[in-house]
Amino acid sequence: MTTARVGESPQRVGGIARVTGHQAYVADVHLPGELHAALVTLPVAHGRIVSIDATEAETLPGVHFVMTTADLPEPMPRFGPQFNDRPILAIGEALYHGEPVAAVAAESREIAAAAARLVRVEYEELPAVVTVATALAPAAPLVRDPALRPDDPLAATNVLRAHRYAWGDVETATADLVVDERYSFPIVTHFAIEPHAFIAAPDGDGMAVWSSIQHPNWLQKILARLLGLPLAKVRVFAPDPGGAFGGKQHAKYEPLVAFMARRAGRPVRLVLSLEETFQAVRRAAAEVRVRTGFMSDGTIAFQDIAADYLIGAYADIADRVVGKGSYPGCGPYRVPSARIVARAVLSHTVPSTAFRGFGNPQVNWAVESNLTEGALALGLDPLELRLRNLARRGEPFIPFDTPADGDWEQTVRRAAELIDWHGPRPAGRGRGIAIGIKSGPTTGLSYATVRLLVDGSVVVYSGTSDMGQGARTIFAQIAAYELGAPLDWVTVVMGDTVVVPYDQQTSASRSSVLMGNAVLAACREIQAKLRAMAAHLHDVDEASIVVDAGVVRLPDRELSILDVLKPGLGRLGGELVGNGESRKEDEPEHPLGGSAAFFEFNCTAVEAEVDRDTGDVTLTRYVTVSDVGKAINPLQVRMQDEGAAIQGLGHTLMEHYIFDDAGRIRNLGAIDYRIPTSMDLPLEMVSEIVENADGPGPYGAKGMSEGALLCVSAAVAAAVRDASGAVIRDLPLSPERVWRALHEPARVPEEVMR
Amino acid sequence: MTTEPTIHASDTVPISLVVNGRPRSMQVAAHRTLLDVLRDDLRLTGAKECCLVGECGACTVILDGRTVDSCLVLAVEADGSEITTAEGLASNGRLTPLQEAFLDEGAVQCGFCIPGQVVSAHALLAANPDPTLEEIQEGLAGNLCRCGCYWQISDAVLATAEGARR
Amino acid sequence: MQPFAYRRPSSLAEAVAILESSGPEARLLAGGTDLIIRLRDGTLRPSVVVDVKGVAELRPGIREDDGRLVIAATTVMTDIMADPRVRRDFTALAEAAAVVGSVQIRNRATLAGNLCNASPAADTSPPLLIYDATLVVHGPGGERRIPLDAFFVRSGVTTLARAELVTAIALPLPPARRGAVHLRRTRRRGHDLASVTLACSVDEHGLTRLAYGSVGPRPVLGVDDSGALADPATPEAEREAILDRLLADASPSPRSMRAGPDYRLAMLRVLARRGIQGASERLANRSTT
Repeated sequence: MTTARVGESPQRVGGIARVTGHQAYVADVHLPGELHAALVTLPVAHGRIVSIDATEAETLPGVHFVMTTADLPEPMPRFGPQFNDRPILAIGEALYHGEPVAAVAAESREIAAAAARLVRVEYEELPAVVTVATALAPAAPLVRDPALRPDDPLAATNVLRAHRYAWGDVETATADLVVDERYSFPIVTHFAIEPHAFIAAPDGDGMAVWSSIQHPNWLQKILARLLGLPLAKVRVFAPDPGGAFGGKQHAKYEPLVAFMARRAGRPVRLVLSLEETFQAVRRAAAEVRVRTGFMSDGTIAFQDIAADYLIGAYADIADRVVGKGSYPGCGPYRVPSARIVARAVLSHTVPSTAFRGFGNPQVNWAVESNLTEGALALGLDPLELRLRNLARRGEPFIPFDTPADGDWEQTVRRAAELIDWHGPRPAGRGRGIAIGIKSGPTTGLSYATVRLLVDGSVVVYSGTSDMGQGARTIFAQIAAYELGAPLDWVTVVMGDTVVVPYDQQTSASRSSVLMGNAVLAACREIQAKLRAMAAHLHDVDEASIVVDAGVVRLPDRELSILDVLKPGLGRLGGELVGNGESRKEDEPEHPLGGSAAFFEFNCTAVEAEVDRDTGDVTLTRYVTVSDVGKAINPLQVRMQDEGAAIQGLGHTLMEHYIFDDAGRIRNLGAIDYRIPTSMDLPLEMVSEIVENADGPGPYGAKGMSEGALLCVSAAVAAAVRDASGAVIRDLPLSPERVWRALHEPARVPEEVMR
Repeated sequence: MTTEPTIHASDTVPISLVVNGRPRSMQVAAHRTLLDVLRDDLRLTGAKECCLVGECGACTVILDGRTVDSCLVLAVEADGSEITTAEGLASNGRLTPLQEAFLDEGAVQCGFCIPGQVVSAHALLAANPDPTLEEIQEGLAGNLCRCGCYWQISDAVLATAEGARR
Repeated sequence: MQPFAYRRPSSLAEAVAILESSGPEARLLAGGTDLIIRLRDGTLRPSVVVDVKGVAELRPGIREDDGRLVIAATTVMTDIMADPRVRRDFTALAEAAAVVGSVQIRNRATLAGNLCNASPAADTSPPLLIYDATLVVHGPGGERRIPLDAFFVRSGVTTLARAELVTAIALPLPPARRGAVHLRRTRRRGHDLASVTLACSVDEHGLTRLAYGSVGPRPVLGVDDSGALADPATPEAEREAILDRLLADASPSPRSMRAGPDYRLAMLRVLARRGIQGASERLANRSTT
């Protein structure tokens, strides 16, 4: 029997299946009579589809049909989490390299792939915009037909939407020093090791869909609308995703396979190649101009941020990413006057979507780098400059949002201490520090059901997806703790929309807090029933009974839960059922539709060495400290923080899409898109947490796991600059880029005294 | 623009393998990989499909004592070989000390890369029972983990080596 | 992957006969770490795949024969990097074999396969060039030997004739005491394709051999037998002038996405300097080799 209390780190629930190879991901699920789908795409970023001839493909033995737009309802169904803009298959024009224009259903994957190559698509290549500059150029081709944007004043541009946040007055604010610079962040991709996989199967009078999806309930809604079915007839199975990182939040090809399954009358499966995942999900690139006004003592006088995010051809959730990611752009600092303008710029590229950090890392990279530049220009210590401006607990910093909800100074000082910030720098090494902050969920709705069975074992139903973050373990720990069960007597049921109650989504580091509170509430409802049972059994006043951590406390004695449960349930047995709800209402007047449930806060400090001849960067020590409120499972917290840091080192040091002139992605796949391996780590990594039990989640927990990724780039770049003098404002800090910064004539700094 | 495939005749070849200690004989088309046959014919889905270019290591299995990316081995090439997959490490439902260490040290997040990681680490320890951190990081570099459990995976291998010494 | 016929000859004669009868439709399969990628992505569509691992004469192994170290064609990188003779006498080759892909790749990838792909970025090519390797080749006309420098034409193209296959790589045992090193540049520290790969040896007579790849259509060998390059007393300008000559054949593609041409050239020079220094240090530190 495994016992574990909150704050301990038992083995991961579901871990055994993962180390023995028995964990079934979507691609491991097979249904009788299933057909295999393959996508037909064009080798261009933007092409007008003249005709599609599937005759030859359909004659290949084993091919059932080739699905084209002609086989889909008229008008073409469109979907998306924010705008219903993505067609099931490209209609009229393919708007990005990799957009499916047709799909084959065949007896085997191999036949489907061969047939896809036989589908003859006649197309006319059209000019493509794949950068912010070309998308915003006056004569740029419009990615979105203005006819689809009636009454939209931006319809004649490639700007999907502009988000503006402001307080104070940046126009009149004065400062001793203004640092005005531009920074860029490239397109990077999630590269979950599990490529996305989808299966759809006619299920009686409904449809069953298996997807490696983070938000099964959201997918259920979209499919129900597209298929014209009631929610109860769309059963989404969401086996634990093999890594998601935001890339599996929203519907991608599920509607396509569902329509194919409906046509076939049989199950249809589509397992993407890694290359196809590059053409399905990616992070928005960004070009960010930051103008910070400083007083000579380092006090921030104003900040003026203009961020252009390069989103894709369809919005997916990207516009929300832009709005929410840029919103805390001024960081956790007191900024008396601020203006943030963030634009979602459409382009002929893969639709960008949520990716760990949700738009924050792009702006953080720029703003934190700008603060370091300001400190150095003023001759101040970059740490001291940050501490001088850092909001203290309870202090409002974004005027219309939740005040500082942690002892953030404690986190920053701990990181500085762990990197020995004030100690002498070893020869040839430099140090950098940066702070990341992210607004947590702005709304939320999670239900959980918990059943306490007659023998004291527990079943938890939760609509969260466990994509590696360890939600199963957290919920099992909460239920085990509250109901006095051994951890391995708890079963957590997830990923089946017919069985598990509604959950809004698994994102924004919300699940431990919002679903955790729902599980806790369900357990508390069972505890209330136990109290009533105990009062009845022992003839004491219910109000005098406390149920706590698996123990029933009567005025004169303590009983185990089973001591109450068994006699309380009586001869027929049965069980106690608790339902929990956790809700964060929207706030219509708030610029984000709701204030932050909590802030994720992290400070990262780095020590680095630079090989001046080659541009190689060696991180000799890496420190990441996050304020997590309370670590329900400290080992999982460490794994998340270190994993986030390593993922951040990917976009900081090596990752980026490379396009050719036609807007095609040149480095599709694992050979030329590099992510960190076990040899690409800092020589030493230290991760710590700050726990003041001041979060809104169970036992004071806050959300975490994105925080440690937010400011990686700015901390590393500051250390590189400190070590070598190289000033770099464009990611990634590849050896070649560092070398160029050291060996090519520097740009004249745009620091302006006024 | 489409590229016309040339469909050639495919040989179907009888092969015999010993997979996780169990002899298996079957007919396979020459162009199918060991990964395909393990996953689709033998339903041993512990070997995972990701990059299919020998970069990620999710499909790692042990072939005659050495790890290979099974996506880059034709099934016919493995004729007569002994193969161990992640499913074949634990015996009688008992995890190996290495598998236990993966769980104890927190080396498992989403788990998709883990069968390959465990297989690689198992082979590494068989060849080098007392590896240094650097040897582990070098030896497991062919197994990508996007959750970023690299430190915890190294810890698990070190802990297993240490446990074996005691 | 497209279907194909699979042949697994057991003798060299049989292999050559299959190659003769199949012509360009046949592809040799050794380790498969490159071939299977290209079969899958469709850049190669052979009708016959000839697995040479069953050919008795090609069985993996490293032996000494008449003043040469002979590495059989299907010997894999793992065995080359671990072989004590390779490590002692052909250190740069051991180092290069150790960075070809990951462990899993090195357990399959063969030396002959690495050479016959004729990738300009192949890491084993520069060491074999500085070690004056010769390929032993069999074909319809029997056996012939091709000095490695006469083997590469350009990416993917060699002087191997129709129906010929490489059976072994022969390296003359060191004629003099020498030190050697293999260096490379990559985009990350984990396994990666080289954006510059270089090997350098310096011997006790001052002979410097420098070979480099991934900076042009084929790997290049440069030799300085003046002794000046390896001599630390030689004035900097003179040594740089010699390097200018040795590196003159570098012509990196401007179209590569892995590194800019100017960066590659600069890194080639950095690696060359470091290679000479590293090889010289090794020469000084050892009594043999």
